[in-house]
Amino acid sequence: MNLTIDAKSPLPAYQQVIQAIKLEILSGGLRDGDPLPSIRDLAKLLKLNPNTVAKAYYALAADGFSENRSGSGSIVRVPPGRRDHLRQAMLEGEFRNFLEKAVSLGFSLEDITQLIARAKK
Amino acid sequence: MSQPILEVHDLSLSFSRKKVLDRLEFSLRRGEWAVIAGRNGVGKSTLLRCLAGVLLPDAGAVARSPEACPAKTGFISDRLSLFEDLTIGQAVAFHRRVFAIDDFDDRLLGRLGVKQKERIRSLSAGERAILHLSLVLSQKPSLLLVDEVLHMLDPYIRDLFIEALIEAMTAQETAVLTVNHTFSEIERLPERVLVMEEGRFVVDETPEALRGMMKKVVCRGPLPNGLPCFFSKGEGEYKEYFIYPFSEDLRAAHALDFQDIALPEIIKAFIGGGYEQKRMA
Repeated sequence: MNLTIDAKSPLPAYQQVIQAIKLEILSGGLRDGDPLPSIRDLAKLLKLNPNTVAKAYYALAADGFSENRSGSGSIVRVPPGRRDHLRQAMLEGEFRNFLEKAVSLGFSLEDITQLIARAKK
Repeated sequence: MSQPILEVHDLSLSFSRKKVLDRLEFSLRRGEWAVIAGRNGVGKSTLLRCLAGVLLPDAGAVARSPEACPAKTGFISDRLSLFEDLTIGQAVAFHRRVFAIDDFDDRLLGRLGVKQKERIRSLSAGERAILHLSLVLSQKPSLLLVDEVLHMLDPYIRDLFIEALIEAMTAQETAVLTVNHTFSEIERLPERVLVMEEGRFVVDETPEALRGMMKKVVCRGPLPNGLPCFFSKGEGEYKEYFIYPFSEDLRAAHALDFQDIALPEIIKAFIGGGYEQKRMA
């Protein structure tokens, strides 16, 4: 798993944990039914307050990404269909950001289409 | 949130004519990690000694819940004072009698290659810190008071030390109160940051809130009027200005780049500002 916390990021640590785990799930690194690292292990690994990790896990469960099993930690709960849907949504979100930036730099949709065509080669 | 395990009201203490703690208010909850920062000599270690019960205040009271009774409070002082002539084995036996502990976990010492028959006098600062930590953790403390010791540990031992604190927090919801002035390594750990100035707390915020409250502006020449500058640095043409308290409407009112800064730099600015105020006084 590729989890890092950026101390300089203005994003609170627990949100960084949420994002990193979501990304791991969407990219297939963590699959449906896989266990999440224990709160203790992840806190030690990332030098985070265990309460911060617990908060992130709680939010992930509330968002329907995982399930808390009392006594035996958390497991990933994202059926493949839902995962594909979320991946698509994420791609579209990133693409919209990219478009906005490109437009603010003065590029047209045509320029971008050309760019994509060139990237395909 | 649970009940406080430690509450301090109106705490004052003077050393001869110098007031070290000045009507200080503070409380800590179960499982919470708070860090105290502040310039040297501002009363941080004195406060920790009062909370540990090794120093009695002139006025005010330290109220502990039953779970934070002395046997369940671990204190690591910056002097790392231990009986120099004892071997580690003897120190453990002594600690076991005093605190009625069941088992002593020597795994951390083992990882440093330290043997039970070594005398405390011969230990390095890092080994001492780990021994001290192992001793207080064997009490299964609900409250850990850790003075500034991290800065004298090598990076490997520092990691072991921090991981052991995290372990204690998950194992028995230990509340942790540390004193640190350089804390780049632990900046993601505390849920509360307290800044001490002249014997009382002038800041008590979550790290997120604090990051929102202080921004840095780098500009040429003087700062435009109307900005609350807490501290400034730089002798040359460009100066750094630390804006505190910052609010988002300042962004709209001034065409300046208000930069987000990380916690260690925020703490540095508070400490620098503290010296500036002391100079002016």
